[in-house]
Order: sequence, then C-alpha cells, then structure tokens
Amino acid sequence: MTRLRPGPVLLVAAIALLALAVPLLPLANPLGMAIAHRLAGPSAAHWLGQDQYGRDVLARLLWGARVSLSVALASSAIACLLGTALGIAGGFLGGAAEVLAIRGADVVLCFPPLLLALLVVTLLGPGASTLIPVLALVYLPGFVRVAYAGVLSVRAAEYVEAMRVLGAGSARIMARTILPNIGGPILVQLSLSAAAAVVLESGLSFLGLGVVPPAPSWGAMIADGRSTMAQSPLLLLWPCLALSLTILAMNALCDALRDAVDPHGVPRRRRPLDLLAPGLLAPPARAAGPVLEVSGLTIEIDTPLGPIRPVRDVSLRVAAGELLAVVGESGSGKSLTGLAVMGLLPDAARIVAGHAWVEGLEVLRLSDAALRPLRGARMAMVFQDPLSSLNPVHRIGAQIGEALRAHGVSARQDIARRVPELLRQVGIPDPARRAGNFPHELSGGMRQRAMIAMAVANDPCLLIADEPTTALDVTIQAQVLDLLARFRRERGMALVLITHSLPVVAEIADRVAVMYAGELLEVGDAAAIFARPLHPYTVALLDSAPAEDGGLPVGIRGAVPLPGRLPPGCVFAPRCDHRIDACEAAPPPLVELADDRATRCLRWRDLADLPQRAIA
Amino acid sequence: MAAGGGHASVVWVIRRIGTAMLLVWLVASIVFLAIRCVPGDPAELLLAQGGAAPDPDAVAQLHHQLGLDQPMWAQYLHSFAGLLTGDLGQSLEDQSPVAGDILRRLPRTLELLGVAAVLALAVGLPTGLLAALRRGGLFDRAASGMAAAGLAIPVFVVGTLLVLVFAQQLHWVSAGGYAPLWPSPGRHLALLAMPAVTIAVGLVATVFRMTRAAVLDVSLRDHVRTARAKGVRRRGIVLRHVLRNALMPVVTVLALNLGSLLGGTVLVEYVFNYPGLSGLLVDAVNARDYPEVEGIVLVISILFVTLNLLMDFVYAALDPRVIRP
Repeated sequence: MTRLRPGPVLLVAAIALLALAVPLLPLANPLGMAIAHRLAGPSAAHWLGQDQYGRDVLARLLWGARVSLSVALASSAIACLLGTALGIAGGFLGGAAEVLAIRGADVVLCFPPLLLALLVVTLLGPGASTLIPVLALVYLPGFVRVAYAGVLSVRAAEYVEAMRVLGAGSARIMARTILPNIGGPILVQLSLSAAAAVVLESGLSFLGLGVVPPAPSWGAMIADGRSTMAQSPLLLLWPCLALSLTILAMNALCDALRDAVDPHGVPRRRRPLDLLAPGLLAPPARAAGPVLEVSGLTIEIDTPLGPIRPVRDVSLRVAAGELLAVVGESGSGKSLTGLAVMGLLPDAARIVAGHAWVEGLEVLRLSDAALRPLRGARMAMVFQDPLSSLNPVHRIGAQIGEALRAHGVSARQDIARRVPELLRQVGIPDPARRAGNFPHELSGGMRQRAMIAMAVANDPCLLIADEPTTALDVTIQAQVLDLLARFRRERGMALVLITHSLPVVAEIADRVAVMYAGELLEVGDAAAIFARPLHPYTVALLDSAPAEDGGLPVGIRGAVPLPGRLPPGCVFAPRCDHRIDACEAAPPPLVELADDRATRCLRWRDLADLPQRAIA
Repeated sequence: MAAGGGHASVVWVIRRIGTAMLLVWLVASIVFLAIRCVPGDPAELLLAQGGAAPDPDAVAQLHHQLGLDQPMWAQYLHSFAGLLTGDLGQSLEDQSPVAGDILRRLPRTLELLGVAAVLALAVGLPTGLLAALRRGGLFDRAASGMAAAGLAIPVFVVGTLLVLVFAQQLHWVSAGGYAPLWPSPGRHLALLAMPAVTIAVGLVATVFRMTRAAVLDVSLRDHVRTARAKGVRRRGIVLRHVLRNALMPVVTVLALNLGSLLGGTVLVEYVFNYPGLSGLLVDAVNARDYPEVEGIVLVISILFVTLNLLMDFVYAALDPRVIRP
C-alpha cells in the first residue's frame, strides 16, 4: 500500500464531524415554522434565510447532512458486512453457498439500482427506516462480488493451504488470512457505496419517496426549492451545493483509497531540461564504419529511492553481416541498451552520457520525429514476448503491412503481394491464409516468425533481437535463431542478439559482449571467448551451462547486486573466486587487448593460464 | 485455431442469443413471483378506500378479472403465453392494454438515452484521449477537475440547475414537457435538449475518465512499443494501437451506465416533466397498477438483457479474441 492522500480524508472527516456535532451547535429548530417570514432572505438570526414555511435554512441544511450521511453510512455498512460475509462464504465454501451468493448477486445486479430502490420503497412505504435496508440491498451485490473475487485469488494461495494442512478450521482461515487480504478492495467498495448511497438517498427524497417531510433532507429541500425558485433561487442553490460538495469529497476519498490500495505508480514528469540538454551536445555524424557503434552509453532511471544507473559506460560495435551476441543475466542492462539505440526507452529512463551511431548517424540525440523514419526502416527490433508485442486486435497481415506503409509502400496491391512473400520468407506455411489470422490464433513460434517478418520488411541494416526465443519452446528456439542468422547472412544485416544464455549463441555468434549489472565485462570474438574467457564472470557463465563431457553445471553463488547498491570496486567482485584487494578498491577499467578483445578484469592474465573446459 | 472461423462465430452468436433468452425467461419468472409475493392482496389494496374494508364481492370479481383466482401455475402459463404474443394484460386504472402504453412511452426514453450516449461519446472520447496524451498538462488537469465535478453533481441537481438558469432566468427554453417529432420537430428537439444534456453530464464524465485511464494503460503495452519500433507515425499509433485497443473498457462502462439508466431516468423525467417510461412506472407503482408494473419491469429487464447482448456483439467486433479464443 502506498500512502493515502490526506486531503480527501480530512475533508470527509470534517463533513462527518460537522454532522455529528449538529445537536451541539446553537442552531434554530429545523422544524420551527414562522409563516410570517416565509422565503425571508439572509439575516443575523437566519444566516442563509428562511424557507417557504419560514424554517431556518442553515439548520435544515446541517440537520439534512446528518440524515443523509447516517442513512448512507448505515446502509453501506450493513451491505458491507452482509455482502462480505456472503462473498467470503460463497468463495471459500463453494458448492451451493457459492451458487446462491454469487448468482443471487448477479440477479440483483440485473435491476438498475434506482429502479430497484423505487420498487421496494413504493411497496414498503417511504421513510428513513425503509431507506436503510433498501439501500443496503442495492449495494449488497457489489460487496459480494468484490469479496468473492478476493477470496478466489487467495483461496489457492500457499499460506491458506498451509493453514489448512496445519488443521485450522474454515472459520479461522477465513478470519485470519482472507479478511486482511481483501480488506483494501472492500474498503474501496465501502467508500464507493457510501458516496452512491448519498446520491440515491437524495434522489429518492427528491421524489418524496425517501426521508419523510418535514424531517430535513437535502433531496427534499431541493424539491421544495424547485417550487419557489422563481421567488428565491438561493433556496435551491444551498442544498444543491451542500449535496454536490459532499459527493465530490466522498468521490475524492474513493479515488484516494483506490490509488492507495492499487498503486500503479505515478511516473515522473519529464523535465524540460532532459529534452533539451542532449541536443546541445550533438556530435557530428560519422562517415563509413560499423553499422552500429555505441560509445560510453550511460542510462539513468529515477526510482522512489533516487536515481539509479542500470547501464554504465557501455560501448559496442557491430559491422554489416556480423552477429553480436549481448549476453547477461536479467537486470544486466542489455535490453535497455537495445531500446536506447532504437529510441524506445521507457519514460522514466534517460540517457545521461554516450553516443550511438547507426550507419554513421548519431541516433541518441535525435527527436522522436526524426527517429521515426529510421525505426523499422534502417534499424528494427524483435521483442521477447511475441504475444504481447503484437496488437491483439489487428490481423497479422495488417500489422506487417503497417510496417511497409510506414516507410513509403502505399499501393494496396504492393502490400497485398509483399506481406505473404515476407511470411513465406520467415517460414510460415500457407502465408496467404496466415496473414488473415489474429495473433492469438498462431502458435508462439509462428508469432515470433511474424514479428521477424515485420522487422525485416523494409530490409533494415541493423536488427536488434531482444531475447527472441525466451518465450518459446526449446524445440522452436533453435529454428528461430537459425532464421535470424540466415537473414543476417543473406541480407548482410548487422544483428544484435540479446540473450541470457551463452551456449545458445555459441554456434551462430561472430562476436560476444558479456554484460553484468549494467557494465560491459568482456567483449571479443566468439570463438576466442568460448575458448579462453578473460573475465571470471564469463568463466562462471560458461560453467553454469551443461558441459559436453557430462560435468554438472556449476551455479554462480550469490546474486546480482541491486542497481542502487553497487559495490565500490568491480561489480562482480562480491561473487568472484579470484578477487584480490585491488578489485574491491576501485572500479577496474575496460582493458583493450589485441584482436578486438577487451575485459574489465584486473587479473585477466592469471585467468588466461587457467585450464579450459569444453561446453556443449 | 483459424479453421472454421465463420462456423465458430455462428456458434458463438447462437450461444449468446440463447443465453440472453434464458436470462429474459429467468427475469420474467422472478418478476412474476415477486409481484405475487408482495404482502397484501392487490385487489384489496386497490379497492380499499380511506381505510374502509372493501366489498368482498367486488374483490372476488376483480380477482376473477385479474385471473388471481386461478392456481399459480395457470397464472404463470397465462402470463407467459401473453408475453410471447406481446399481450401484457390490461391496466387496472383505465383498462388500456399495457403493451400499448409501453410502446408509446418507450421510444421517448430510448431517444433520450440515445442522444445522451452519442453526446457522451462525442465529448468524452476525444477529451479523454487528449487528456491522456497530454497527461499532467493544463488541459488534463482542467478536464479531470470538470469530470470530477460532473460525477459529483447528482442528475436531478444538474436538471434543476439547468431549469433554473436556462428556463427561469434566461427564458431560452421552456422548463419541460414533450412535443412529438412530427409536426413540431424544432420544439421536439428544444424540449429534448435539456433532459438529454442532463443525462449526458454524468455520462461524459464517466466516458472521459475511462478513456483517459484506458489510453494511459494501453500506451504502456508492449504492442505499442512494437508499433513505434516499426516506425509507425504518431497519429497511426494513437488511433490504431492505443485508442482502438482502449475502446473496449470505454464501451463496457458506457453500456453499464446506459443499462442502469434504462429504468433510472425517473429523476430526469420528473424534473423535466418528460413523459417517458420511468414516469409511467412511478405512476403505476403509486396507483398499485400491478399488470402495468409487471409489464414495465419486464420490458426494462428485456431491454437490459438485449443491451448486454448488443454489447457482446460490439466486443466481438472490437476484440477478435472474444469469438475465436
């Protein structure tokens, strides 16, 4: 739970206190008539004037608050207690109790609330004593549904099972484990019902079916004011204002409660400086060179605990037709690096240092509008989960066609011809029919193939694939990787393959970059890295994979440090068997070696002498 | 999977309609039972004048006239046969056929709701989208504040204040009433405007809030990032990938609200003296006109179920996963 906003709470508390204190206030008798002074304007004795029977409007207004709020609170409290009990019983006991409670609630929900209240009130007669059970009945199903849903979600939870195994009775389990878990939603529902009950009570009283005159009630006061609005419109205004402000305050409380119970996180607003600053330092474009060059990339993300830097000083290079595998555990910053190049970083993240050139064009400082023609045309990206990454409501063919249309292919027949051709190229059988399918109608492997078709539609020079096989079956993984590798070969694309598994890329990668906790730890030729890793983390990654000689995989002890709590020296030092004091003293530099290799280890020379082991 | 997509949707449509008809039957049975379970003999209540016990002969005659002297199952069958042939019985008050009364009043209520719904979508959808796209900006804050106010002011307060300002003070329109579309279309629209706007205030606020929340939610989904990665223009992303996917919750909340408004326009009809279905119901309940009450509640429930059925079809059109999961 996040913190509850105090404003609405205080406001509602103030209104409630005022209503409670009404009998203690020096107010005129709300029922005392003075026909001689009917419709008199405000005076010292009657601050808000007198109504059509000469009664004091202020007194009636405040007493009306008391009636309104007590009816609303009493009815929603009854609905809350009964509804929650029914919902919990239905959800927890199952069987007949479930059918009765839940289906019963559904039937009541079939009737519009006002209609239901109206029917019952007319049959039982008006008055506050009828009003409370009627409103309770109207709001009961809401609580049943909320409680039932809450129970269903925790019913199967492990701790409930555990209590059951320990021999706790049903009643005890319900009271101990389930109630606290559904407390939040029930509280929100209570505030919603109370606010709605104020509206319904005033509406019924307005129709003369709620609180019986002459008892003061806002709804009835508005009805009275209507008949005299030509002479004194103010009489109409006061109860309207009181009623609307009370409901406004209660609605605000509902919103605050909901936000507190269900925190969706309010993202940081972008400072104007963040948008301007990068542009001021725009470096010149570079001529021929690698397709992608990243230099010194550092990304910062604001968190509630302060800014963190999940990517620090990362430099990469990929040539045309080359496959670079970026390997690391989750949280190593590899995906953010890919997103940064594409200009798709989440709003909370910003680039604080570094450059990235795609075909010589610096892309980190480009505006979104300037990046758009590049994205999907010169550089493309394939994401991890193809199901969530495809739009569920558009057909596969339309989504691929959209990529073509975004980059200048406008003729309908061109698109109709090229979409099935692309699907065929990524190995989807019966492409013409598949193009008419929605994403959920394809298998996981098919979906990822469709994603790839979308990415390569405009023959990009750079393709970034972010864990493209993680969401797929093992048997499909190899096929998708082969497909990517083939495209790279046939079309001369630069391919960046982001993965957490080193063995997966052993056969297809040209170069490997190993990332850990936001830093590049080792980079070099794939064959060289597999044969002779020069960083203990790379060694550990290789050891954690199943070995060809049947040796058991060795896990890496410890855990990745949190971005907010990085060690002062080498980020891997706390988990490293080879660390020396120097490792923990200061961050080691990335040492550039021969043959385009680099390592961020002080002891790389010693590592080079260690015996090697073959991997699968 | 995709095989037999057409077949699957036919089965789906038939199943939805079947469920809806089952619900209508259930609701009709409940209404039938509820009316007969209410304490007090309707005939006695109707004939009782000023506390004096009614004449037993008159009560027996009325029982016979209403069919209340027959066994329950016969009454049930009779009322159902009537329902199937569109005969909802006769009003106790003036012996007019209930179905005719309802047919005269219902279109007016539906027109009111229809205009309000169109207003709600026409205003709520674009403002909600704009507020979400410029979240935290001036427009967002102003519109969100107005929506909070729109939700807080009860519908009869809105109506009363509109009457006070536009009818009482400014004399732009008359305070209420109804004129048939033909021969006076201008007056018809003028009289329709205020009650329709009154209902629309709350609906606009609801649609605005839902659109804003749904657009903010959808903007963070993975498929929007994919569309950006494809290089789709901002306009296309907003319309095809954000708004299109955000429509579903918006339609849901609008349908829920319209459903509860079907019988809930009582207050608006009362404030504007608008002769719709709700007013007929209130009169019938006050007069203890049971056949009339039963008929109206039944028709409203059927409309409610039909609305939900229509919603299912709209869902299916909006989200292909509904029909072919």
